[in-house]
Amino acid sequence: MPSLNVDHLTVRFAGLLALDDVTFTVRPGTVHALIGPNGAGKSTCFNVLSGVYRATSGSVRFGEHELTGMSPHSIAGLGVARIFQNLALPPHATVEDSLLLGRHRLTRTGFVAAGLRLPSAAHEERRHRARVREIAEFVGLEEYLGRPAGSLPYGQQKLAELARALCMEPRLLLLDEPVAGMTADERRRVAAVIAGVRDSLGISIVLVEHDMGVVMRLADTVTVLDFGRLIADGAPADVQNDPDVVRAYLGEEATP
Amino acid sequence: MSDLLATQAKPRRVLRRPAARTCTAAAGALLLLALPFYLDRFWLQAGLFAMAAAIGAIGINLLTGATGQLSMGHAFFLAVGAYSYCVFAADGGDGLTGLGLPTWLAVVLATLVAGGAGGLFSPIAGRLRGPYLGIATIALIFIGQHVLFNARDLTGGFNGRDVPPLSLFGLTFDDRELLVANVPFGSAEKLWYAGLVLLLGGALFARGVLRGRPGRAMNAIRDHRIAAGVIGVPVARYRAAVFVLSSMYAGLAGVLLALVFQRTVPDYFGITLSLEYLAMIVIGGLGSVSGAVVGAAFVSLLPQLLTRYSDALPLVSAPGTGGIAPGEASRYLYGAAIVAVVLFLPGGLVRVAARRRFGRKPGEER
Repeated sequence: MPSLNVDHLTVRFAGLLALDDVTFTVRPGTVHALIGPNGAGKSTCFNVLSGVYRATSGSVRFGEHELTGMSPHSIAGLGVARIFQNLALPPHATVEDSLLLGRHRLTRTGFVAAGLRLPSAAHEERRHRARVREIAEFVGLEEYLGRPAGSLPYGQQKLAELARALCMEPRLLLLDEPVAGMTADERRRVAAVIAGVRDSLGISIVLVEHDMGVVMRLADTVTVLDFGRLIADGAPADVQNDPDVVRAYLGEEATP
Repeated sequence: MSDLLATQAKPRRVLRRPAARTCTAAAGALLLLALPFYLDRFWLQAGLFAMAAAIGAIGINLLTGATGQLSMGHAFFLAVGAYSYCVFAADGGDGLTGLGLPTWLAVVLATLVAGGAGGLFSPIAGRLRGPYLGIATIALIFIGQHVLFNARDLTGGFNGRDVPPLSLFGLTFDDRELLVANVPFGSAEKLWYAGLVLLLGGALFARGVLRGRPGRAMNAIRDHRIAAGVIGVPVARYRAAVFVLSSMYAGLAGVLLALVFQRTVPDYFGITLSLEYLAMIVIGGLGSVSGAVVGAAFVSLLPQLLTRYSDALPLVSAPGTGGIAPGEASRYLYGAAIVAVVLFLPGGLVRVAARRRFGRKPGEER
């Protein structure tokens, strides 16, 4: 498993500095949380990592690959999977079809093979449907595979999106607020799935999350951003007591 | 959704449905095969127009319905198909360019040329999304019209050119009559079967594409472009490829239309035709093969029906006699149909059938 090195990353939108010289490293097989108040630049960072935004300067390296300047699908091809803050699951497609979409980078069937229903296409489809079922079982969605994704409760839809990302057989998983809007019960379940992903599959995870309980329970390392700048980086317990972090979240006491 | 679950919970209905469907399909196929023995030329031609339109509509539904890329240039690719066929198949006897190739080969080549024309446009088709592509493709119509009117050697200019009849395995699809079971088979009767084969082939291919890996990627681009890229779908490449495929369907539809018309004229391939194709998929149902076929049948048979029964219908009369001409009336009607579908049947006419089958309440899903 390669590590992810974010090095002096800067992103500027016209006059707005969304990320300012941010440097951190995600060690292989760990959960690395990226936290900070709203507008701190966490989602911008994800968008650069997955190729949606261009970096103004700085570099992002995944193993020997430089990710800045690569297209989203090439980054996906390296095994970087991402779930979005807002649901990006087509509501009418079945959960199974959505998960099969995650297998896109691992499958080869093109227009001609699919149109003519060549045996190779059918064989590939069968093999990958079996794997999709396994992943759905791992996440606990196997009974919903045949249902349209839009008919599932919100928490299950988020889980389906996580399952779709897992279907890409990722080496690095970017999770943008995976438990936002969930009930306490669903949060526990998702947290368990994420811990399971790290422990049993050895996937590195970058986690953006506001729920501090989940962050402190899961994260091996925490990076704190505020207004695009990195203000703390370290073990969860250290970061929690860092005066800069407390100030960023709670504000400063007015000096009399 | 509880309804849907309820239907799934009844095993008898699940078992019976595919069987009933097979029976309906078999009966429909028999009916389609038998029609040339009973219908007169007028209806057969109307049916052939509908088949050609259905092939073209499947093409634009792959692009617009399934991938979310609007195209106003579909008529251009129909023209490319129709005229390429003439150029490849004609023997040059009428003073226009003709290569005199075997006509079956001309059909294949014309389809490929249409795909190639789509490929030339694919740098644009790959980069522009949705409505922007729609605007860019209007240019194709203007270029197409200019070329059709001015490249006289190829297209015959304003007057168009004659379409050489298709001939396959020694059977020529022209007006020389062939007696089958005491029914004289002219060009319409013979072409009917060729049209059925082409439509069936085109529909099955498109269905395979839509249900397989490419279809899932196309829908992902339509539903959530950024997520599609992040999941690993090369968005620009897919858009370009679907544009080429859709052009090939248009080209094939153009060839079939030309064969039915027996003459191609440039006026036909204007922007109105492109709009008619968009109307077909909106009315029939976006994103599915059956939607394209149903919509094509509706939009292309309606003017024919109105023409045939113009004297029996109020307000509609033969062109030039003061009332509303059948062509105009049908445009009003499918204009109204589009509004009605968008307001009351999102998902198109095929949705009505699906809803009846599942016993779903109106408006439940969207």
